[in-house]
Amino acid sequence: MTMAHSAQRSTIAVGGVAVEMFSGGSGPPLLFLHGAGGNAGWQPYHEELAQSYTVYVPSQPGFNGTERPDWVYTITDVCHFNQALVETLGLEQYVLMGSSMGGWVAAEMAAMCRCNLKALILVGAAGIKPDKGEIAEIFMVSAQTRSNQRFYDISQVPNGEQYQRELTAEEQLVAHSNQEMASRLCWRPYLHNPSLPYYLGRVNTPTLLVWGRQDAIIPVECGEMFQQALPNARLEVIDHCGHSPALEKPGEFLAAVNGFLAGV
Amino acid sequence: MTEVFWFSEQPYGHVTDEDLAPYESGRMHFPNTHFDPEKAHVLYSNYHDQYALADEVGFDGIMSNEHHSSYWCMKPSVNVDAAVIAKVTKQVKIAMLGNVIALNDPVKMAEEIAMLDCISGGRIISGFVRGTAVETLHAGISPTENRDRFEEAHDLIVKCWTTPGPFRWEGRYFPHRMVNPWVVPIQKPHPAVWFPGTGSPESVIWAAKRMYPYMNLGSLLDLTKQLKDIYFETAREEGYEPGPEHFGYLIRCLVADTDERAQEVGRTFLWTEGHRQRGPVEFNDPPGYQSREALRIKMSRPTIGTGTIGRRMSYEELQDAHNIIVGSPETVINKLRYIKQTLDPGYMLIYGNEGNMAHEDVMRSVELLGTRVIPALKED
Repeated sequence: MTMAHSAQRSTIAVGGVAVEMFSGGSGPPLLFLHGAGGNAGWQPYHEELAQSYTVYVPSQPGFNGTERPDWVYTITDVCHFNQALVETLGLEQYVLMGSSMGGWVAAEMAAMCRCNLKALILVGAAGIKPDKGEIAEIFMVSAQTRSNQRFYDISQVPNGEQYQRELTAEEQLVAHSNQEMASRLCWRPYLHNPSLPYYLGRVNTPTLLVWGRQDAIIPVECGEMFQQALPNARLEVIDHCGHSPALEKPGEFLAAVNGFLAGV
Repeated sequence: MTEVFWFSEQPYGHVTDEDLAPYESGRMHFPNTHFDPEKAHVLYSNYHDQYALADEVGFDGIMSNEHHSSYWCMKPSVNVDAAVIAKVTKQVKIAMLGNVIALNDPVKMAEEIAMLDCISGGRIISGFVRGTAVETLHAGISPTENRDRFEEAHDLIVKCWTTPGPFRWEGRYFPHRMVNPWVVPIQKPHPAVWFPGTGSPESVIWAAKRMYPYMNLGSLLDLTKQLKDIYFETAREEGYEPGPEHFGYLIRCLVADTDERAQEVGRTFLWTEGHRQRGPVEFNDPPGYQSREALRIKMSRPTIGTGTIGRRMSYEELQDAHNIIVGSPETVINKLRYIKQTLDPGYMLIYGNEGNMAHEDVMRSVELLGTRVIPALKED
C-alpha cells in the first residue's frame, strides 16, 4: 500500500460503523470511491489530486477495514450509507469520483442527491448494461483471468509488478473478504441497475467520464451510454489503456481530470 | 440394525478423460454438446431397472440426489427421480439427498415432496442440501446468499408441512403473502429430514442441533469418525442421546461373483475422477459460500480437512482405506463389517455404480448385495 506523507489513515464513525479512511491534501473536498476489488489505499494519483483538493478515500462498507452493517445488501444500501458518510464529513459542494463499481455507486448517489455535488467523475464505471458488448465475468473466473482482464499492457503500469506478485496470507484474506462483499452487491443484476440510465436523465451535474479504450471489463460502449444518459457529461477515452486508467495511464488520466475540474 | 440403501449417481458414462481435458473445469466449462439424449434414454432405463431390482432383492431404501451442469450426474431434479423410484418400487424407503432448497421456491418444494410422500405411500425421507457451490452458480445466485436462503427455505418448507394454511410468510428471499399448499405429506408431522456433508463440521452441527440424521458422503474413515464425534457432542449439548439412527455413511461398493471380476469392474469407480471438481476455487468454494463461522470451526480443528475432494489416492489405497469396497460377497461382507464396527452407522448408503460400468455387472452386484451381503450384515 502506497502512503505518501501528506496522507493519513484514520477511522471515522458513520451511524455506529467504523469506516476506514485515507485522506490528505487541502482545498475543496473530493470523495473517491473504490471498485469491487477493494480499497488499495492512498495512491499516487490521489497524491496528485491532493495538491488542489482535500481528498477522501474511504473503504466502502464490507471492504477492507470497514465492517459490513447488517442492513447493507445492495448498491442502493451502499449509496445511502455514503450519503451519511458525506454528512458526517460535512462535505459541501464536493467532487465525487468513482472507479468501476465505485463509479456505479457515485452515479446512483448523484441521482439520489445532486444538490451538494460540484462535479461527478466516473472512471470505467459499472452500472449500465451495454447493448452490444458484455460486462466481463469477474467472479466465476480464476484469479489469473481476473488479473489479465485488468490492464491493457501491464508493462506500462508504474510499479506493475506489485499487481503480479503473490499476495501475503493477510492480503489474501482481505481480497477474499472484498470479493465476498462485491459478490453480495453486484451479482444480480450483474454489475448494473436497469433503471440507472433513466435516473441519470435529471443529473445535470458537470460530469467527466474517463475510459480506457481497451477496457476488457466494462467496455467503452458503457461510457458512451453514460454520456447519452447524462445531460452534462463529456467522455474522455484514453488509447492503449485498460480498466484502470489512473494506474495504467496516470499522466493522461490526471490531465483529463485536472482539465475538467479547471472548468467547473 | 443397519439399514442398507442403494444409490446411483446416474452418470453419463460416455464421457472420457480426453473429452474433459481441454476445458478449464469439468462442470461449468464442459460443453453440453457432449450430451446425446438418445444415449441418455438408454442409461436412464438401465438405472431404473437397477432401482426395481434393488427393491426386489431386499434393500431397505434407495437414495437419490441432484446436481447441475455435471456429466457424472444426469439428475437435475431429485424430485423427478424420486417419482420414478416411487413407481418402479414397492417397499423401499426413498431418501432424497436431496433438494437444493436455497435455489428453488420452498412452497413448491414442500408441495412436490408432499406429493411424493402421498404417491409413495409415506416412503419419503426428505434430505435438504446446500449443494456444491456450482449448483448455486448455475442457478445464477450469489454464493453469499446460499446459507441465508437455505435457512429460510428450510423453515418455510417445514411450516408448509406442519401449519394449516393459509398463512403469511414475509421472508427476505421467499416472501409469500398467501401460503396454502393443498397437498400435505402422509407422514406426520412430516417426512424425516436428513442432512448430508463431506467435511464441513458446520453441517454436522446444523444437523445435530435439529436432531436430523447426518449422512457423511464418503469421507475417509478417520475424518468421518471425527465428524460423528462432533455430532454426538453437539447432540448431548442439546440434551438428547444420539444413536446409530442419527448417522449414515456412503460407501462406493461393488460385488461380483469373484474377487478378480470385482477388482476389474470396480476400477471404474475412478472414472474421470481428476476432472469432476477440477476448476478454479472460484467455482468450488467462491468467497462467501462458506460462512465465517465455518472457517472459524475449521481453524479450531486443524485435523479436519475437506473430505476426499482434493486428495488423490490410488485404487489400491482407496481400498486399503475402506473408501472403495469391491470383491466377492465374502470379501465385501468382511469389509462392510469393519465399517460397521468402526462407525456404527444406522444407514449404509451403497454408491453402487459409476461411469460406463456395464449394466449387467451392476445388476449382478445389486443381486449379490441383496441376496448375500445384506442378510449377512443383518445377522450381526
